[in-house]
Amino acid sequence: MELEQLQKTAAEVADREDVKYVIGWKKGSYGYRVAPGFIEDAAGAAELIFSPLCTANLATYLTLVEKLPVPRGQEADDRKVAVMVKGCDSRAVAQLLVEKGIGREEVVVIGCPCPGVVDPELLAEKYPETEETVEIKWTEDGFLLVRGEEEIEISRDELLAEKCRLCRYPNPVISDVMLGEPVETRELVEDEGVAEIENRDVDERAAYWEEQFAKCVRCYSCRNVCPLCYCQDCILDRLNPTWVNRAVNFSENTAFNIARAFHLAGRCIECGECERVCPANIPLGRLNRKLAREVRDKYGFEPGVDPEAEPFQASFKPDDPEDFIL
Amino acid sequence: MSATFEPNIVAFLCNWCSYAGADLAGTSRERYPANLQIIRVMCSGRVNPLYVMNALQQGADGVLVSGCHPGDCHYMEGNYYARRRLGMLKDLMEFIGVDPRRFHMSWVSASEGHKWKEVVEKTVEDAREAGPFEGFRRRQIDW
Repeated sequence: MELEQLQKTAAEVADREDVKYVIGWKKGSYGYRVAPGFIEDAAGAAELIFSPLCTANLATYLTLVEKLPVPRGQEADDRKVAVMVKGCDSRAVAQLLVEKGIGREEVVVIGCPCPGVVDPELLAEKYPETEETVEIKWTEDGFLLVRGEEEIEISRDELLAEKCRLCRYPNPVISDVMLGEPVETRELVEDEGVAEIENRDVDERAAYWEEQFAKCVRCYSCRNVCPLCYCQDCILDRLNPTWVNRAVNFSENTAFNIARAFHLAGRCIECGECERVCPANIPLGRLNRKLAREVRDKYGFEPGVDPEAEPFQASFKPDDPEDFIL
Repeated sequence: MSATFEPNIVAFLCNWCSYAGADLAGTSRERYPANLQIIRVMCSGRVNPLYVMNALQQGADGVLVSGCHPGDCHYMEGNYYARRRLGMLKDLMEFIGVDPRRFHMSWVSASEGHKWKEVVEKTVEDAREAGPFEGFRRRQIDW
């Protein structure tokens, strides 16, 4: 996709009467950083970029907006919010529509077909960050890293994020404006991370997750960044009843992680943001993908694909599997 | 584990079928293990999956959820929701290393006193085999 086309489209959308602002990606403070940009007019659109570094799922910002009561005598600002989405992010928008977290009339979706983003940690590990201007582009079969004068060809497999390796929806599932040509869809591949844990026996699995959950510092970043964790009254913040104590210990950490993963069962759209922001590097993606796979295989349901679908946990089929029932 | 280990089981029974079924087991003088702490809920659909997690945290060695047979729910469809949610929870628990023998779900109607006995025997036997739950139990428990 050409950058000019993206900026031109964003400028057009931002200038529309019924659009409050456009949420897109812009260059961050230094190095590989990419920040969300909130563009209110056509002039601001020149900041926007779309590169393999744009890992963030901007659909989060749709539900993060605080809705203040409208003062008497004033009219509510019911203009739309435009958001730029990759394939996975568009599923978050679709899932929000399913759950009526947002209304279709509140949002303009700008779809960006995405050939796959890089894993920021892997990138920083292999090609240390510098203060000079760095740019990454997509090439035919990989990435091109431009650092000052230097140009480095990187193969796709070397840096591709795990979620993109497993991605089956690189093209946005819903969009009002589509940028560029759709990219090639890939086949469903086996999820090695999940399979590796499944192949262990119960005690080994318990030991593995004990090690992982013990690292959790309960910053709740995973919840805050998740586009689908938007309850106003989250059970984790609630004191009466106290579902999860605030103590940071293995028991409560596990309870928290079970609650978080379970609340995303049949809703998680596998954008991998929770795992990316986790300061303790807990493989939350594996938990989510395991549940997503069970939902897909056993119940034939996939979240965030059809905006008209019924929410998974608030619906049922009479012939749901019940082989676990005594 | 020694053969004398007696597991603590928390059982969530729906008011309309399983609780009445357990009652019938009592009035028909069925003998079954006394390891159960029964909690009556109005419907198995009322059982939040986090109850199961919380029971394990607070010292249960096993959890049983029992409701009406599909199609017989007093509230028409509550047990269908329960089946979907708790089925997912069982998969999740298994994945994070909780022995699958610790969590069971069953359909027991008000006339199935004998089936209730069998369900309890199976649940207690499984939990006994799995041993005391040490996983993510809270370390300080004073009851």
